[in-house]
Amino acid sequence: MSEKPHIVKSYEEQLQLLKDTIVKMGTGVEKQLENTIQSLVKKDISLAEKSIKDDELTDKYEINIEEQVVNLIALRQPMAIDLRETVVALKVSSDLERIGDLAKNISKRLTKIGTDLPNDITKNFEIAGLKASKQVNAVLNSYLHRAKDTAENVWNSDEEIDQMTNSNMEAAVKHLEKNKNDIQKVTQLLFMLKNIERIGDHATNIAEQVYFLITGDYLEGDRPKG
Amino acid sequence: MSKIKAENVNVYYGSKQALFDVSIDIAEKEVTALIGPSGCGKSTFLRCLNRMNDVIEICRVEGSIKMDNLELNSRKLDVVRLRESVGMVFQKPNPFPKTIYENVAYGPTIHGIAQSKEEMDQIVETSLKKAALWNEVKDRLDEIGTGLSGGQQQRLCIARAISVSPEVILMDEPCSALDPIATAQIEELIDDLKKEVTIVIVTHSMSQAARVSQKTGFFHLGKLIEFGPTDKIFKNPDNQQTQDYITGRFG
Amino acid sequence: MNNFKQNLLKKRYNAERRFQWYGKIAIGLALSFLAVFMFQIFSKGYSAFQKTWIVTEVHYDKELLLIDAESPSKDDLENADYYDVAYKAMTSLDPGLPEEEDRQLIQMVSYKYETEVKDLLLKNPDYLGKIVPIKLTASDDVDQVHKGNYPRDIPEKNRRVNDYQLQIYDMLNERGDILSEFNISFFTSPDSREAELAGIASSFMGTVFSILVCLAFSFPVAVLAAIYLEEFAPKNKFTDFIEVNINNLAAVPSIVFGLLGLGVLLAVFNLPRSTPLVGGITLSLMTLPTIIIAARASLKAVPPSIREAALAMGASNMQTTMHHTVPLSMPGTLSGTIIGLAQALGETAPLILIGMVAFVNTIPGTPVDPAASLPVQIYIWSESAERGFVEKVSACIMVLLAFLILMNLAAQIVRHKFEKKWS
Ligand SMILES: Nc1ncnc2c1ncn2[C@@H]1O[C@H](COP(=O)(O)OP(=O)(O)OP(=O)(O)O)[C@@H](O)[C@H]1O
Ligand SMILES: [Mg+2]
Repeated sequence: MSEKPHIVKSYEEQLQLLKDTIVKMGTGVEKQLENTIQSLVKKDISLAEKSIKDDELTDKYEINIEEQVVNLIALRQPMAIDLRETVVALKVSSDLERIGDLAKNISKRLTKIGTDLPNDITKNFEIAGLKASKQVNAVLNSYLHRAKDTAENVWNSDEEIDQMTNSNMEAAVKHLEKNKNDIQKVTQLLFMLKNIERIGDHATNIAEQVYFLITGDYLEGDRPKG
Repeated sequence: MSKIKAENVNVYYGSKQALFDVSIDIAEKEVTALIGPSGCGKSTFLRCLNRMNDVIEICRVEGSIKMDNLELNSRKLDVVRLRESVGMVFQKPNPFPKTIYENVAYGPTIHGIAQSKEEMDQIVETSLKKAALWNEVKDRLDEIGTGLSGGQQQRLCIARAISVSPEVILMDEPCSALDPIATAQIEELIDDLKKEVTIVIVTHSMSQAARVSQKTGFFHLGKLIEFGPTDKIFKNPDNQQTQDYITGRFG
Repeated sequence: MNNFKQNLLKKRYNAERRFQWYGKIAIGLALSFLAVFMFQIFSKGYSAFQKTWIVTEVHYDKELLLIDAESPSKDDLENADYYDVAYKAMTSLDPGLPEEEDRQLIQMVSYKYETEVKDLLLKNPDYLGKIVPIKLTASDDVDQVHKGNYPRDIPEKNRRVNDYQLQIYDMLNERGDILSEFNISFFTSPDSREAELAGIASSFMGTVFSILVCLAFSFPVAVLAAIYLEEFAPKNKFTDFIEVNINNLAAVPSIVFGLLGLGVLLAVFNLPRSTPLVGGITLSLMTLPTIIIAARASLKAVPPSIREAALAMGASNMQTTMHHTVPLSMPGTLSGTIIGLAQALGETAPLILIGMVAFVNTIPGTPVDPAASLPVQIYIWSESAERGFVEKVSACIMVLLAFLILMNLAAQIVRHKFEKKWS
């Protein structure tokens, strides 16, 4: 559904700026997440440090989007699609900020325990992390292109990450039973695995918002629970 | 419950058709807002509901408009009785150039509603109170109504309209000449009145329609494009034209 | 700003200034015409409001009066013979004059001097047998001499006042026996063949009655017609036709209405000639379209929002019209009516045709008594040869103008005072 432009050009420009800012923020968060995961894959702790640092930018974007939304509501009183656009932007930005936070949290734990970790668990973490990255990327695409189906797909495939997380955590506990010395590292890894799952949940949240943005309806059915 | 049921209403001004097959169900004791661009026929439709189009010689109304199963668009209908139960408030405040008291007492007088002077005083007082004007004018009921401020005049017109206890009140852009405070007072009044009265209001203010109404109808080029619950219309209308109009994308 | 633009701006300002000047000159011209006209009228007419009296002595001699009774009753005084007493009162001014020349003295007072002598005694019966001073109306000629309107240096045979009369006048004037007083009789007397006695009472009352009759006929008819046409009549070819005809009627020359009055009111209905009744009806034909047009205009001026308000309250058409539209249009209608009446007031031609030009020397008490009217009076007097009538014409014009100004003022007041302000 492509909309005609607004009669008031500056209104049109403001809405466009809001969308652009969300996309930029999304790209930033994606990058953050990628750095975090690659830091473990490539055993390069500086990537994790970069991710931690980039979170400041993400926070700034969130504040900026909040301001834009408040301005739009106060000055333009958006209606219908514009109203959804505005409200969705607010919620999406807060989900993105949470994703950024979680990436930062993982990176912090990484800097604490180093990249020298048990291989089997690291492998699991990598797979789950890439899956979550893909979800985030897909949901941002669905926002950018107003693709209802993509959003639905993201929403439906969240269950996979949940299941992955469950089995990953079980595996980690088993590993710990055999190697009691790794207790420090594995505990951190458990949190990191849980964080990946949370990132998946936020991607699902965003998918719901995108779906509402496009259709004005809420996604039907029970939300896949982890 | 439906108070007014219009079916396939067509209105012509001479050979020019102003309304095309309008069908609408106006619920009892609710506020129904009619929105749409200028010249789309909102006023024309509103005026069908109290037969004010009779005044315009070239105007012809076809179709069926029923109020509580009484056919309004019928030659046999007594328009004087109809207008007693369907009041109207106009865009421009139009109090009679008479005293405030006389303005409010006019309807009850011609319809023989009050039996005595005391009863009339009572009607005038309650009407003015309902219209939230009593406190401002109670000490000067014998002043000329046209000497009030615009917002007060409009509330006087509302008091005049409710003095005969109508079942329906039609309002044609009642706030278009008023400041935000007066507008808010009238919106509050509408909220209050809808406990007892069915209200149909034409407005150009999207936010006013959204604030005061439960149902909204969008007219365009003489057609009723979309009609539904107000929150639906303003959050997620079904029709693209409606969406374009309320989001300011028209043209 | 470049030069071109500046020049253009200057030109525009100049054009505006020039235009304003043209306007001012036009107004000045109109005002000066008015001023000349007014000056003309006033300078000629103001003297008509002064009346000249000659004071002499009268001896109410019982013998000359032919009264026998010792204490005469009112009837006796009424029936007495005043000819000699009055005659003596005048001739006593110059006892040396030969009897055959007496006429010259008598001619110096109005022909009604005998009545004046009688009236004084009737008012003061105790003057009987006494010698008392008396004021007698000076003749038209002496009046004009006293007012300085009469040149003395033309040859005697061309003058209506001869040398002897002038000599007597000068003597009396020196003695202070020529009085000049406010001319009440101008307002209280009817017309007369003698300028010094002529007044406007008859024509004034005639005018008043005509206007009242005219109002009584034209106002209700015109207002009802206007209300019907404006508020109830369907708008179609036929009502358009009526409207055009009403407008045409307003443009018909008034003399045509006079012919109508003559042909219909007098010939067919046999109404009494020369009466304000007929005059008023004839004039009402003239005012009718004026009032209809004014009433329709002021009905039209009532904002439709008021009508809509009343209709939406459930008032019927009739109630809307009678409760709201008509009361709101009344100030405009009334001032239009007054202006229409003021026009009728100045009409002469139709009244001449229906015979209101007749010489009437009684004051009408009802609209069916013969009467003249002010404009016709002006016309009659301006036809008369005597010098005394010239100032009367101007005076009569002044009265008519005052009447007109008063009516127009009334129209203005009605309009401004009662016009309702609507938002
Ligand atoms: N008295 C009339 N005579 C002829 N045509 C009329 C008359 N009144 C309205 N119309 C026409 O009917 C159409 C609808 O007019 P209407 O007044 O109902 O519009 P509206 O929606 O109330 O517009 P607005 O918002 O400007 O008040 C317009 O095209 C108008 O030109
Ligand atoms: Mg309208």
